[in-house]
Amino acid sequence: MQVRRKLIAPLLVIAIVAIAWISLGMVVTNSYYQLMLTLVPIWAVMGLSWNLLSGYTGLISFGHAAFFGLGAYTVTIALVKFDITPWLGIPLGMIVGAVAGIVIGYPTFRLRGVYFALAMLAYPMALLYVFVWLGYQEVPLPMKREEPALYMQFSDYRVYIALAVGLLVVSLLISLAVERSRFGMSLTAIKQNEPAAEAAGIDTLAWKMRAIMLSGAVAAAAGGLYAVVLLVVTPDSVFGVLTSAQALTIALVGGIGILWGPLIGAAILIPLSETLQAHLGDVIPGIQGVVYGIAIILVVLLAPEGVFWRVRDQFQRRWATRAVQATPLAPHIVTAAPAPATPRKPILALSGISKSFGGLRAVTNVSFEIGDSEIVGIIGPNGAGKTTLFNLLNGFLQADSGKVVFAGRELIGLKPNRICRLGVGRTFQVARAFPRLSVLNNVVVGAYATTTNDADAFGAASAALTQVGLFRRADAIASQLTNKELRLMELARALAGRPRLLLMDEPLAGLASQEIEDMLAVIRSLAARGMTIVIIEHTMRAMVRLAERFVVLDHGAILAIGQPSEITNNGSVIEAYLGKKWAAIRARS
Amino acid sequence: MLAVESLSVTYGGLTALYEISLVVGSGQFVSIVGPNGAGKTTLFKAISGTLRPSGGSIRFEDRDLFAIAPSQRAHLGIAHVPEGRQVFGSMTVMENLEMGAYPQTGRRDWGRNLDRIFGLFPILAERRGQAAGTLSGGEQQMLAIGRGIASSPRLLMLDEPSMGLAPVVADLIFERIVELHRDGLAILLVEQRVAEAVQSCDFGYVLETGRVVLEGTHQALLADDRIKSFYLGM
Amino acid sequence: MTSLGTFIEIFLQALIAGVLIGAIYGLMCVGLGIIFGVMRVINFAQGEFLMLGMYFTFYLVVGFNMLWFLGPIVGPYTGALLAGPALFAVAYVLHRFLISRVTGISVAGTEGEGHYVQLILTLGVALVLQNGGLILFGSTPQSVRTPLSARAWEIPLLYDANASLFLNKARAVAGVVSVVVAAALYWLINRSRLGKTLRAAADNASAAIYMGIDVDRAYRIAFGIGIGITAIAGGLVATYNPFQPYIGLDFVIIMYAGVVLGGMGSILGAFWGGMTIGLVQQLSTLVLPTQLQNAAIFVVFLLIVMVRPQGLFGRATERV
Repeated sequence: MQVRRKLIAPLLVIAIVAIAWISLGMVVTNSYYQLMLTLVPIWAVMGLSWNLLSGYTGLISFGHAAFFGLGAYTVTIALVKFDITPWLGIPLGMIVGAVAGIVIGYPTFRLRGVYFALAMLAYPMALLYVFVWLGYQEVPLPMKREEPALYMQFSDYRVYIALAVGLLVVSLLISLAVERSRFGMSLTAIKQNEPAAEAAGIDTLAWKMRAIMLSGAVAAAAGGLYAVVLLVVTPDSVFGVLTSAQALTIALVGGIGILWGPLIGAAILIPLSETLQAHLGDVIPGIQGVVYGIAIILVVLLAPEGVFWRVRDQFQRRWATRAVQATPLAPHIVTAAPAPATPRKPILALSGISKSFGGLRAVTNVSFEIGDSEIVGIIGPNGAGKTTLFNLLNGFLQADSGKVVFAGRELIGLKPNRICRLGVGRTFQVARAFPRLSVLNNVVVGAYATTTNDADAFGAASAALTQVGLFRRADAIASQLTNKELRLMELARALAGRPRLLLMDEPLAGLASQEIEDMLAVIRSLAARGMTIVIIEHTMRAMVRLAERFVVLDHGAILAIGQPSEITNNGSVIEAYLGKKWAAIRARS
Repeated sequence: MLAVESLSVTYGGLTALYEISLVVGSGQFVSIVGPNGAGKTTLFKAISGTLRPSGGSIRFEDRDLFAIAPSQRAHLGIAHVPEGRQVFGSMTVMENLEMGAYPQTGRRDWGRNLDRIFGLFPILAERRGQAAGTLSGGEQQMLAIGRGIASSPRLLMLDEPSMGLAPVVADLIFERIVELHRDGLAILLVEQRVAEAVQSCDFGYVLETGRVVLEGTHQALLADDRIKSFYLGM
Repeated sequence: MTSLGTFIEIFLQALIAGVLIGAIYGLMCVGLGIIFGVMRVINFAQGEFLMLGMYFTFYLVVGFNMLWFLGPIVGPYTGALLAGPALFAVAYVLHRFLISRVTGISVAGTEGEGHYVQLILTLGVALVLQNGGLILFGSTPQSVRTPLSARAWEIPLLYDANASLFLNKARAVAGVVSVVVAAALYWLINRSRLGKTLRAAADNASAAIYMGIDVDRAYRIAFGIGIGITAIAGGLVATYNPFQPYIGLDFVIIMYAGVVLGGMGSILGAFWGGMTIGLVQQLSTLVLPTQLQNAAIFVVFLLIVMVRPQGLFGRATERV
């Protein structure tokens, strides 16, 4: 299995890092360096937790200090007030962190971009004020003389190093499990293009909630261990902006969206800033913050996704095989069936669909039926409402009135990922690929909605690639595909969900004539296998040979429906395209 | 006046325009028509500087336009009325026109131009204090054209002025454009609606998938049967 | 005095304090409003420029005592006003070399319109300024004291000889100056040719280019003005509030809350938003302990963002 083979390498690396680190910890005697060896893993864990939410989904959180602080205070209060050992306190803190994740995530995920980041910023700041008010200005952890080990207090510092490495290994394993499973792939799809992910059947809200729960739990664990190591907790040190900034910077500098990133980032930044703080901290207080600030600025301008990706991209560029100009493919085609004489059973029926935006009537009273395995073209002059219609069918927009019935099910009111799972696939005008992943991994995301395990998902993806004739490129890196191959890959992603109805939005735009012929052949083969295809297109010369029927929209309303030869001679259609009085003007001249 | 030679534009790996050549003579009315996706707006953007061409040249009154920053082209005497109107929605009609008069030539002729604009489009005078975003589509188009005239241009370029407008309103817009041309302004009109665009022009070009497939005087184009096949495929 | 009378006195006191503070918050928010609300640029370092305005005023008036000839009252306020042009220059240069790489035409229309990068970049700038400030200025709280700082006007309440309201003179003057500056800015943005040019560039950058407007330069000027205004607000705050290099953080949420509450794209809205936040902050002390008054602001901010993201004056089409 493709996935399992690749797990050995990272597991090995994790093991080596852990063993090396602990060995280093065993020999170091200087207490300052011992502290450093403890802090680096803790902050790396913090960076990993940030990555789990923001690195993978692209929703930038400025407030991970909230989880960190809650974890720290849970451990502290549990010990101080209830005499509960941190061995229990840390898991308890993780639960608190996960719950906080749910409580914070549910309302905040409705926000986008900067609003999300600002809201996330507000949470730890609010918590800071609350904890100050509650009187927890500075809470030292009490020393336990009897049975210190029971309370996670050790005289030999090296145990702390081992604990920190232990937590790091657990976090790395969690991140690895997420990354290499459909969890991580779904998050990546969300980051790349959330609407497309929804349309491919991914329940975006559910995955985001899972991510923030996990992220909160891991950050809380880091906070809990931090409290144990430092033995004193203040609101500012755990809820402060610098804490959130550190989590973010470590992941950002090291590499976003990959488990090695925070490790690299922590290994670079923590020693750097702690050393500067130790040597210059008295003379230049605040040097830590300046270093972080400059690091952020440099990274954002020079290596926006972090050191790891920058270095890896450089290597890949040198070793990558150049994409060969694709010779005409041999897709799995069946010669196109002639237009059937008997009418087909309708599979999609629209009646009275209307949609307005403010005062603008985008779609007015549209009704038509599409038969099973028909190829229908939706055409019309610019701005006629064609893409709006698709968005209505897909669930991205809610119609103001009317019904859409697909294979006996009413579609109005359903979310896009639900509609996808019912068997409606969609390709978009602008194909958004995951540039660093292989073609197969790009396509497999489309299969998640209809399969339960990874083996089936990859099987469906491979079948889809075969259908479009791209199977021999399955292992190529997506950034090296030609335009036509990208289009076919986008198509394969939609096909991986095994749809019965496929909505294609301008699949031929910008392609050269031979590439258009190849696309037409693929589309015809899909229809011959029983798929119903509805296409928005402007490339009329190709469409008159492909479509069995046209639905012509103008100003949001249906102008005409019929076979190509009828439509191209229909007076009102000609007028819609060529302008009023076209025939009259010609007759006169 | 405006000479486009072998212009090519590629973006995102797609060739949008392939070696386009066209000419707008002094005081001429030139139309560019073609079906959706033919590259008409790409051409417009290349001339106005919003898109970087990959080959060829554009010269305006014998000056190489590539050497001139987009925000400087208005000061040369080229006015743009972009696709979708693009009025400053949060500003009043009057303020929009003031912005149109930003170049030196516009400020110099402000009073005269304002009279002319209100003469052509009296509704703008009525609504001069209204926020442009609250105007109807047709009124916004009139405002966009007025904004273009406010700079006292020598060449007025319009990108699909009839898009999204009711036929009656589109007719009115076309009539006014023809009037402007009769007053001596050179016009470059990009349109999807062939009839009106070809009927009034001195010379026309038909684009399809990034190339010029047909060109001629308006009589020649009207008589040609092939235009319909370019639009409808057969 | 009856308990009702006491309550009225406390309430009115909080109200007056809220209005005065609100005016200054309003000015700060106007500064951010130009940048965030109009240009749609995320500037996480806005609080740090507020702080720099405070320190500029401090060094000009107290540290180097360069305005001695204006006297102890006019001097500080002039210093605060001068912080505007000074920080304008700093912001102009910062934009030219740093901020413009992640804003403007090059990112307009890209996914998220470059906001992610702006967030991170300005976070870096904020960290550098905060901690750089700590290095340069030290952590001892400073203030720009004037003879007005410790005095107050007393306004007797008619219903009781013993009840009266106290208007801290420094705060009152600062509030009035804020309103004047805000009004001047309003005039600049709405009536002057420069203001219209800036609004056009912010409204529709590509159309502005068609008009012949140098949009990059317009953005730079707008950014500079936004920072300069906030710096003036900082200088005014300095006359009645002690400050240290980390004070910017306290105000970032206040500023964003005010701008979002007032509505994006509306400078007037930003002012009223700031005013409202000031009122909320002061009036919340009637029911909450003082340490939680800032927590109250966060709650308000979260509520606005979730319930009515377009704010009081914004357009409903704003993206969430």
